[in-house]
Amino acid sequence: MGAVKQAIPAAIGGEADVAMDSSGTAKQASTRKILPIVEGVVLVAALLAPLLLQDYLTVFATRVIILALFALSFDLVWGYAGIMSFGQALFFGSAGYGVALLARDLDITNIFLVLPAGTLIGLTFALLLGGFLLLGRHPSSVIFVSLGTLTGSYAADRLARGWYYLGGQNGIPSIAPMTVGGYEFTEGPAFYYLVLGILVVVYLLCRFLVRSQFGLALAGLRENEQRIAFFGYKAQHLKAIIFAIGGAVAGMAGSLYAFHEGFVWPNMVGVVVSTQVVLYVLFGGSGTLIGAVIGAVIVEGVSFWLSDNYRDIWPIILGVLLLFVILFRPLGLISFVLGERERVGSFGAKPREDVKANGKEKRNAP
Amino acid sequence: MANAFVAAFEILSFGAIIVLIVLGLGIIASMMGIFNFAQGEFVLLGAYITYLAYAKGLPIWAGMLAAPFVVGALGFVLEALIIRRFYAAPIVAMLGTYALGLIIRESVRGLIGGFYLTVPEPIGGSIDIGAMHISAWRFTIIVITLLVMAGCYLLLSRTNFGLRMRATLENPSLARASGISTPLMYGATFAFGSALAGLAGALIVPVFSLYADLGLRFLIQGFVAVMVGGVGSFIGPVAGAGVIGTLSAALPWIMAPVVADVLVFVLAIAFIKFRPQGLIAGKGV
Repeated sequence: MGAVKQAIPAAIGGEADVAMDSSGTAKQASTRKILPIVEGVVLVAALLAPLLLQDYLTVFATRVIILALFALSFDLVWGYAGIMSFGQALFFGSAGYGVALLARDLDITNIFLVLPAGTLIGLTFALLLGGFLLLGRHPSSVIFVSLGTLTGSYAADRLARGWYYLGGQNGIPSIAPMTVGGYEFTEGPAFYYLVLGILVVVYLLCRFLVRSQFGLALAGLRENEQRIAFFGYKAQHLKAIIFAIGGAVAGMAGSLYAFHEGFVWPNMVGVVVSTQVVLYVLFGGSGTLIGAVIGAVIVEGVSFWLSDNYRDIWPIILGVLLLFVILFRPLGLISFVLGERERVGSFGAKPREDVKANGKEKRNAP
Repeated sequence: MANAFVAAFEILSFGAIIVLIVLGLGIIASMMGIFNFAQGEFVLLGAYITYLAYAKGLPIWAGMLAAPFVVGALGFVLEALIIRRFYAAPIVAMLGTYALGLIIRESVRGLIGGFYLTVPEPIGGSIDIGAMHISAWRFTIIVITLLVMAGCYLLLSRTNFGLRMRATLENPSLARASGISTPLMYGATFAFGSALAGLAGALIVPVFSLYADLGLRFLIQGFVAVMVGGVGSFIGPVAGAGVIGTLSAALPWIMAPVVADVLVFVLAIAFIKFRPQGLIAGKGV
């Protein structure tokens, strides 16, 4: 919440002003189209990646795409509804463990069964945890929710480490590959395009969601929860719903991740992965879906590139960069190209042109 | 009988360690409203300084004495440079201090490598009471914890400095109007909290040995303790730390350690949910 409040004057005082000053409305109209361009560039780059990259890099790119899906789930919860979920890995990892158990104990690896199962696990855990933390007679404080999710994730990590059935410290190794019919998805271009397809579909669904009236209510929640409550919205219910949706997306990412890596281990539910997803979204820019994707790509990409030569100092660099982003670019890297007006965007269905022309006076609602 | 006594001592000594670690966290959370994610790394730094003194051939107690001052000074500098910008936004403060903690932790990891480094106890041996032996150093930790607790309480409740600190906490604008330099007080409070963490790290390093994730291990327990105890006072977090420390040390005696571990957190979160103000509500000392 604070990040947004701090950032708005900065962004308005920054590029947004310059753009509007220089050439009024025409320029403003053109600046409003940056977001689709960014999205298009990212999509084209993602589509071409396996053709240009070597095989082992395609495997890495697949992992990044899965993590981008995961980042999307955190962005929905934090960037759009202002719920600080420090335990997003709980849903990611529990779904991973869930599908790993399905594959290990029941030999179920069919994609049409495991993906919905993973999504459902994420959704269920998010509903339980979110329902407990967010609902109730008294609205929960932001601090309580963030520490509660963090604690949940930490407790799950400890549980996974100590529970023999889940493989303890070692996790569950050598999960059978995901199948559809007789075909096995192993690492490589096919898996990459499958994951990319899922990411695009989920991205579009999320994009529709956050630009709907529901998204408008969420944005209000993020900016001023009390006012939204006064308008008659059930603020807590809205929060629980978006938290559950975020959990479902994280669960889907987690099940893909488990099958892609071929193993799950306790870190996957723990604090390390939970904070990692926070890093992605903060770097890229919370409150824009594409920002989360770009953040995941940049953080993972740079870390992959640096970790060969500078393995030891990379986490330190990451910390310094994160600090700079928080202090000076609270809206993330995306805010270098995206103005505040476009980030906030417009909500709901656009009025049709003819209606707009005829009934300007009658229709006030957007 | 002897077994029960040893168990009680173990529980007490672990409780004391948690209280020691939470003291600094609680003061910063209560007085400044910031949940400092770098607190665990301040503990780590205190431990590292003690190790450094030992490795250089200095007496261990010299390192333990230096640790709170060095870490406190670092806390003061960090507050002035970075933390100061976060007061208005508690969530951003969490993320910012997390980044700080990451930098400190990974730097220390780079310095010590992935090893577990042991530091001997400055007071070795055991205290024998009849047939029972208890570690002399753990006993010393309990005594020091009690002394530090009493010292902090007196500092906050009886001295001019404590009065200014509490005034700044309760009503910053009125405190400013009364001629208290609130930025300086915030800096001093943060430095004080960091120094306590440094001391905790220095004292516990002989028990747990030094490794990069030493602070992280206690951080979440510390947060939960602060929430259970109640933010806003000095006594609250201490009480919470006592409860959490005792529970996490006592439960493994009566059930599987894994279940006990998780149960403590579940109980704590459930407790906070239904009593958000914590064990001890209200502001003051």
